[in-house]
Amino acid sequence: MVLQLVGNPYSTCTRRVAVVCKELNIPYELTVIDLSKGEQKSPEFLAKQPFGQIPYIDDDGFVLFESRAIARYLATKAGSALIPKDLKAQAKFEQAASIELSNFDAFASAIAAEKVFKLLRGGKTDDARVQEYAAALDGKLDAYDKILSTQKYLAGDELTLADLFHLSYGAMLAPCGFSFLEDGKRPNVARWWKDISSRPSWQAVKDKA
Amino acid sequence: MVLKLYGHTVSSATKRVACIANELKVPYELVTIDLFSGEHKWAAALEKQPFGELPWIDDGGFVLYESRAICRYLVAKYGPSSSLVPKDLTGNAKFEQAASIEICNFEPYAHVIAIEKLIKPASGAQPDETMVKENLDVLSSKLDAYEVILSKQTYLAGDASCIPHLTLADLFHLPKGAMVTAAGINVLEDSNDRPNVARWWKALTSRSSWRAVKDGA
Repeated sequence: MVLQLVGNPYSTCTRRVAVVCKELNIPYELTVIDLSKGEQKSPEFLAKQPFGQIPYIDDDGFVLFESRAIARYLATKAGSALIPKDLKAQAKFEQAASIELSNFDAFASAIAAEKVFKLLRGGKTDDARVQEYAAALDGKLDAYDKILSTQKYLAGDELTLADLFHLSYGAMLAPCGFSFLEDGKRPNVARWWKDISSRPSWQAVKDKA
Repeated sequence: MVLKLYGHTVSSATKRVACIANELKVPYELVTIDLFSGEHKWAAALEKQPFGELPWIDDGGFVLYESRAICRYLVAKYGPSSSLVPKDLTGNAKFEQAASIEICNFEPYAHVIAIEKLIKPASGAQPDETMVKENLDVLSSKLDAYEVILSKQTYLAGDASCIPHLTLADLFHLPKGAMVTAAGINVLEDSNDRPNVARWWKALTSRSSWRAVKDGA
């Protein structure tokens, strides 16, 4: 039975799973949840995902949520090198995966929330907070540039899930007015971002999962 | 050569690693990086941890940072048969789901509460009570989902068809959760509001691995 991906074609987290499916050549069927109708808060949905968030998968009866957990499950099932197996290489991957969450996503998703998602719910952007998050992210990317000056990707010289996890919120930064990833002020970050964002797997889902 | 843990006794992330080292009975030497004089931002520290944060480890020359990555490495190296990280495909997936829940649905909100109510006042700054309320409201709604999950199983990983057990995902909550409690907010302990969360939290905080480091790594 083909993998069921329950989410929304435009959702960042749904596209995080979709890019990994494309990378691993795993076909999927997208069941669309209409966020504007609050379908993610229905009792049927909450029975699968108690936080009322998208996406989740149903892999022949095995239900799993949290986009990064889903990506890890699919990569592990496929025996993919997107999660290294060697002890130290895997540790460096976990370090990179943690960096993505704590030092990138925390700020990038907050910027996207203020500049885009809040407005969709009738709210107003808090410009002071956006500047705070942007300043913090700017500082973090100095560390990224240092790391990427001696290795091709965040965990080492091979692409891993940790790099791919950056794509969906990373791609929202420029439309929100922040060119940190592209402007070349940090040449290694720019090189890395160009590399991962031009992958066919991302090009296939960047606008729509 | 004994594992070197570079951190600070008061640092929550240092305590996270120390707790897991205790769970695995891995001896370690705490090498103090003086947070209060900014040593973690000096050139020598930035060589090891480019984000200027604590902790990092040096395990016989292998340097690693990000506390959760360190904990996972310690299990892989020193506790390969430990159930703290399940190895079967679906058990591991449920563990990763729980680990993601912790870092996405708990940590960001507990962190802001800890900063505003504990860290800022300690340096003489005023807490932003609006931020505290906002983050507490979100944390409370997240804990409602925790209550649903924990009403069906004893720990966060595992599901109805396999035996749920303690994993790193549960233990990762301890340092920041303890700071929320220390801030005088009892969302984790209130057994009237969320009896299953309270039961789970009591089980975690009673573990000797945590009790040994809760007041200082």
